[in-house]
Amino acid sequence: MDTRHATVTEFPPLTEEELDRLGDFLYRRTGMVFAENKRYYTERRIAERMTETGCGSFPIYLARLRSDIGHEIELLINAFTVNETYFYREDHQLQCLTSNLLAERIRGRNKEDSLRIWSVPCSTGEEPYSVAIWLLENWPLVDRYEIEIWGSDIDTRALENCQQGLFGRRALQRLSPALVGKYFTPVDDEHWKILDELRQSVQFSRVNIVEPADMRRHGKFDVIFCRNVLIYFDDASRRVAAENIYENLLPGGFTCLGHTESMSRISPLFEVRRFEDAIVYQRPQGTNHG
Amino acid sequence: MADRKTVLVIDDASLVRLYYRSALEEAGFRVQEALNGLEALERLPGMGADLLIVDINMPQMDGLSFLKALRQCDSPIATIPALVTSTESRDVDFAAARAAGANYYIAKPVNAQTLVNFAAMLSGVPR
Repeated sequence: MDTRHATVTEFPPLTEEELDRLGDFLYRRTGMVFAENKRYYTERRIAERMTETGCGSFPIYLARLRSDIGHEIELLINAFTVNETYFYREDHQLQCLTSNLLAERIRGRNKEDSLRIWSVPCSTGEEPYSVAIWLLENWPLVDRYEIEIWGSDIDTRALENCQQGLFGRRALQRLSPALVGKYFTPVDDEHWKILDELRQSVQFSRVNIVEPADMRRHGKFDVIFCRNVLIYFDDASRRVAAENIYENLLPGGFTCLGHTESMSRISPLFEVRRFEDAIVYQRPQGTNHG
Repeated sequence: MADRKTVLVIDDASLVRLYYRSALEEAGFRVQEALNGLEALERLPGMGADLLIVDINMPQMDGLSFLKALRQCDSPIATIPALVTSTESRDVDFAAARAAGANYYIAKPVNAQTLVNFAAMLSGVPR
């Protein structure tokens, strides 16, 4: 459960040096930048972790963190990730997926080959499950190809939610009542559980998008949705993430970013493809090395 | 449908099972699912299935092995009609399914309305 609304003890503000040390720690492990301009957010999350772990001061907490007592590194990373998303977010990209991208990907392909789609980071599961629902509703070839959908995230708490497949009203706000009725079972007035077949259609894993080995063990994909994460990175981490995505794409594979993000400003590796519904980035054909 | 027919969908792909189930339930069928031929053979006795929708390429027991084993059963389940749906679409694949005991064969992709029409015909649902 989300502990962010539980009673949190107030602590003195972090000194500049403490904020720097914490920022460095998070940056090295996640690529995300938490500096002075995110002081309030950082202090709130640290206060939550210090309350939770019963640490009376920041130095005591930092010692706990460095020793990784009680998996504190994982719990801290979980606390700093943002998991605010919903089904059919930026559905123009899903439209592009079924109108353009998949048609290109299946051209000349054996039907035995899997079509592999990756949602990274997948947060609490809304995005990969949206892909599955969208394909069922909008892609007439859905039973023709073996479709492998993966959802990966650095936040293990979010991944637990993915596995449970339990969603609140806000997450479902963009789905029509007909779709909610078709693919979810009501649990109570505020929560719905996704159908078992949909849950089984997505595989989940933990991944750190700036860790090349972590990314590569997932293999190559036809389409990677990597939305609204690069905005948390600095230029260096963005480049590493972009190179990792490139390596995880099959030649000719596509990646979709959030609408405020542009790969052109990050990496020259990709070709920009402008389709009717979305701008996406493609690993050029004939780039088999790597 | 006054007398709702029961269809067992046998396919290892969960998205495909859901796609077929949604279409069939919307048309008034009751739907059960199995992930492969072995699970289907275990679950069929007592299910009261009126029709089987069978994929060919599945782990553990594929659709053709399943049909051969089913048709040899000394039990009422041996005669349940079977509609094969598969990405295999050559003449030799149709012939192999026919030889294994299939009642009809449709190559994937299968349109939802086509699936419902064949399910209705093969399970004897009057319009």
